[in-house]
Amino acid sequence: MSMIRSAIREISLNLHSKPGARFITLLMVALAFIVFDTFLIISWNLQGIMDQEENLVGMEVFLERHVSTAQGRLIGDNISIMQDVKSVYFVSSQEAEALFRAELPGRAGLLDVMGSDFTLPASLQIVFQAEAINQGRISELSRQIGAMAGVDNTVYGEDYLPGLIKTVTTIRRLVLLLGIVLVSSISLVVFYTVRLSVVRRSLTVDIMRIVGAPWWFIRIPFVVEGIFMGVTGSAGGLAMAAVISKVLSSAVTHRFMPMWWMILVILLGAVTGVVGALAGSYEKER
Amino acid sequence: MLVTMENVRLSYGRWPALDKIDVEIKQGEFLVISGPSGAGKTTLLRLIWMGDIPDSGIVEVTGFRSDRIRKRELPKLRRKIGIVFQDFRLLHSRTIFDNVALPLQVTGTGKRVIQKRVISLLARMGLSHRRNAFPHELSGGEQQRVAIARAMVAHPVILLADEPTGNLDPEVSREVVELLLEINRGGTTVVMATHDPRQVPAGKGRFLFLEKGVLRGADRWTELDEES
Repeated sequence: MSMIRSAIREISLNLHSKPGARFITLLMVALAFIVFDTFLIISWNLQGIMDQEENLVGMEVFLERHVSTAQGRLIGDNISIMQDVKSVYFVSSQEAEALFRAELPGRAGLLDVMGSDFTLPASLQIVFQAEAINQGRISELSRQIGAMAGVDNTVYGEDYLPGLIKTVTTIRRLVLLLGIVLVSSISLVVFYTVRLSVVRRSLTVDIMRIVGAPWWFIRIPFVVEGIFMGVTGSAGGLAMAAVISKVLSSAVTHRFMPMWWMILVILLGAVTGVVGALAGSYEKER
Repeated sequence: MLVTMENVRLSYGRWPALDKIDVEIKQGEFLVISGPSGAGKTTLLRLIWMGDIPDSGIVEVTGFRSDRIRKRELPKLRRKIGIVFQDFRLLHSRTIFDNVALPLQVTGTGKRVIQKRVISLLARMGLSHRRNAFPHELSGGEQQRVAIARAMVAHPVILLADEPTGNLDPEVSREVVELLLEINRGGTTVVMATHDPRQVPAGKGRFLFLEKGVLRGADRWTELDEES
């Protein structure tokens, strides 16, 4: 019990020593995290834009004129249970006409010219699961749906879909690559900063080991310090990034990163802080 | 035997620091290891507290053998050894009391026992009035006495003193050596490394002379004395 009390005392003494040096270390960690946080905010917003674009990728299925509303809904039900189909919305003939008049008011006269017997065909608007959005899969779905009874033809963005898919895939790969580079860099920055801070107190480690302190007793103050510096530094970086984001929000519309990303950032700080502190104290082991 | 070294060899890289070392140290002995700078005195002491492990040969200290000791056993060995350095190695952010109490705190000794032992030891060292001071507020001699108090507080069976007078003036050096002799009279084995063996009066201890990592015999210091 007194050993644990002594260890807690050591932790407290360690955290209270050299406040100036600790502040500089924290500032270094926080600054490194601001760069990372900025990248995360940009990625998060880019992700939102790409999701929006992908949600626009869908298919319009025009039904044959003789297909009744009930039959149309039945075809819709059959399509909705197909793999990779997220949702199906039935647009009746009357709804199609209303939409036409609302969206193209300048051309509404065309419908009147066609006469009262003319009706726009009913259709089905299909949205796909995000993971199904690739040229091959959508072509296949178009072929399957087009072959169904009552379906006149199918329309999807054959002309822009390959370009969109390529762009989105390339951006995602770049973001991932940049993310890996940044996580590695920030881990190294925090690792070396904390390690340096521990090595700076190598006299304490030396004295502890010559007086016979067990290894856990020597390390635990540094591990706690590593966690403290990692968590405080990353949280500080997040706070500063939030302030910058707020200041820039009127000029550039964007969202801050979600809560679970923030938790991961703080965890990254804690883990790299602990690893740095352990590495610093291991160097003085024997 | 408290310490036994059998045909010990240790190199730092390609540089042989110690070679063919055979030493036995008995309980209650005062051993002076002398020799010029770079002779291997500090390395020999490091082998005793197992800060280094020999490349070949065996060092045995209070039952712990260098070829068998595990990393987690090193603190147990070091609790039986007190170490004093030329540069004192005190923690400057802690008071004199806390510096002396450190070996007891790290082993989980109770607060009352720590209080009693540290206060009594500081009184013995003539440092009671400085117990709340910080190391930088003390003279070199006082700092070395604090370091000796820290080394002695856990009742070690062996006290290693590595050039304990290296940073002190002759008068204070004599006081420190007298303090080490007094500790030895109390039954603690003392091993003192020094470049100047004349600091210890003849007849007060056993003398070994190291030169370029090799033991040159016990009487070399006397020859040096005669030469000078």
